[in-house]
Amino acid sequence: MDETIAEFIKRTILKIPMTEMTTILKAWDFLSENQLQTVNFRQRKESVVQHLVELCEENNASLNDAALLDIIYTQLHRHRKIWDVFQMSKGPGEDVDLFDMKQFKSSFKKVLQRALKNVTVSFRDAEENAVWIRIAWGTQYTKPNQYRPTYVVYYSQTPYAFTSLSTLKSNIPLLGQALTIASKHHEIVKMDLRSRYLDSLKAIVFKQYNQNFETHNSTTPLQERSLGLHVNMDSRIIHENAMEKERVQRVTQETFGDHPQPQLEFAQYKLETKFRNGSILAEREEPLRCLIKFSSPHLLEALKSLAPAALSRIPKLFCSSGSCSQGTHAPKSWQKDLYHLYFPLLPDSPRC
Amino acid sequence: MEQANTLCHDGKSKGGVLAYLERLETGVNRSGKQREELQSAQAVGNALATKIRKLRCLRDKLRAEVKQRQARVKASTTSVDPDQTVEISEQEVLERKQKNVKAILQAYRFTGLSGKLTSRGVCVCINTAFEGNLLDSYFVDLVIKKPLQIYHHSVPVFIPLEDIAAKYLQTDIQHFLFSLCEYLNAYSGRKYQADQLQSDFAAFLAGPLQRNSLCNLLSFTYKVDPRGQAFPFCARLLYKDLTVTLPTDVTVTYQGTEVLSTSWEEQRAAHEILFCTKPLHQVFASFAKKGETLDMSLFS
Repeated sequence: MDETIAEFIKRTILKIPMTEMTTILKAWDFLSENQLQTVNFRQRKESVVQHLVELCEENNASLNDAALLDIIYTQLHRHRKIWDVFQMSKGPGEDVDLFDMKQFKSSFKKVLQRALKNVTVSFRDAEENAVWIRIAWGTQYTKPNQYRPTYVVYYSQTPYAFTSLSTLKSNIPLLGQALTIASKHHEIVKMDLRSRYLDSLKAIVFKQYNQNFETHNSTTPLQERSLGLHVNMDSRIIHENAMEKERVQRVTQETFGDHPQPQLEFAQYKLETKFRNGSILAEREEPLRCLIKFSSPHLLEALKSLAPAALSRIPKLFCSSGSCSQGTHAPKSWQKDLYHLYFPLLPDSPRC
Repeated sequence: MEQANTLCHDGKSKGGVLAYLERLETGVNRSGKQREELQSAQAVGNALATKIRKLRCLRDKLRAEVKQRQARVKASTTSVDPDQTVEISEQEVLERKQKNVKAILQAYRFTGLSGKLTSRGVCVCINTAFEGNLLDSYFVDLVIKKPLQIYHHSVPVFIPLEDIAAKYLQTDIQHFLFSLCEYLNAYSGRKYQADQLQSDFAAFLAGPLQRNSLCNLLSFTYKVDPRGQAFPFCARLLYKDLTVTLPTDVTVTYQGTEVLSTSWEEQRAAHEILFCTKPLHQVFASFAKKGETLDMSLFS
């Protein structure tokens, strides 16, 4: 086994916390049960790692095996990376996509290997229809750098790919090319969507959030679902603006739904606005252009809780990636620069 | 009578007295019989008369009882306000009707396509099914205005909803909904077959089932007899039409270097046809059954 591979495996195993060690090793399925039983996991971590590396040596671990271990670790620690989303598009009137995972993998690898001699590509299937791809980039003259790989998560027959880049900008077009060719698309564009939470990005892009639909079979009437802020409704106190509060609650509920929101940490959008009458700036012809940034550990939940928390004039606007692509409203050219989020805005406020 | 005449004319006592006595005897016998008949008839008559009396008695008793019960019922109903009874029953009737209608609306989902009016328009619910099994449901929330818009939906991203909407949504909404139903039902059916194969017939598979999101390309290696007597075949099922649940192309191959014997070659060809004509899990169920009958023959 190569020195570099041994070092790579050692560093990867060192990253794994002891509590997860056996789970990950079992998922890796490279060391046999007997071999694992010979390891004393109660030792100091360095000794455990040493022993494991020796066992890998016995089994003659290849670079691919090591890469696989890295993928498994990353899958379990996906929130340590920041994920971007790429969107691909096809031409109109294409044939039905008969996606063959084997073909996809070999095509992807070929594109990269033809362009860059020094590149390591590894795959691991996940769930029913997804694949995790790990790419370690090299150059014409240097070997692939195993410590700054790019990960791509692709769900078959969808136009979206989730990537955690951490590489030179020059490699990105090549990655895009490999993805489009292998998945039989024509173009690829980076979306303005980014988060640590891969599952949240997935939920936003595949529209798996807010699955709140009205049916005759819904058992709980809408009024019963409270947002948790209906406390102390003492009947002796008449709440003023009760109607307004109810409206806000209803709008919030319609916009956000009942279930936990996808986890976004930041959002920013460009705004063109005019000041209202009463200030000098109101006479200005040209609208003011601003950039508004939001950040929070859990942005959408925070916005959701703003509404009932007495900010009753929170109005309504939402742009979501889904509605733009469906053509429910024509996206303006710079709307495409919007981070996709939904939150209520004033009705008489700046147009987005 | 002739005898009587001959008696009178002859004047001789040859048949005279005896014949007369005979006549008297038969007469007595006849009247005796008649009396007996009369008596029996009378007896029957008496019996019937008593029966009639009994029945009349019973009838009178029953009549009296009926009258009593009617009186009791009348007594109990007259204690309640007559107007209220009419009202309650109307309300009950309305409630029952409302419950009925609600139940019908809820049950509508079993037709596969149902909807509910919303404040904006209508929320259409597509309940998919395959071979009598109710599978996933999908929703499309429509906003009724010009042009018709999809407000939001739960259709998976790999179903060509945008294409179908572009073709039919504005011009023929019925066509849009039926087309969408077709795609979703077919997808659910294919997914169901693949899931069944993986769960119930895993023993027949010699490797993992390769599938994709739309379940329109399935690739797997299988053995007809899971206990290892059979040759492994590789099957590749393509569903080029997204609205069908049976494959459009099937290739079954043998991944080996030896030449297949004619019987295995026939089996291979037969399997190709089987996969084309029967749903996937049913094909494997038939393999399982054949295996069972083989087992039985071992015992016999």
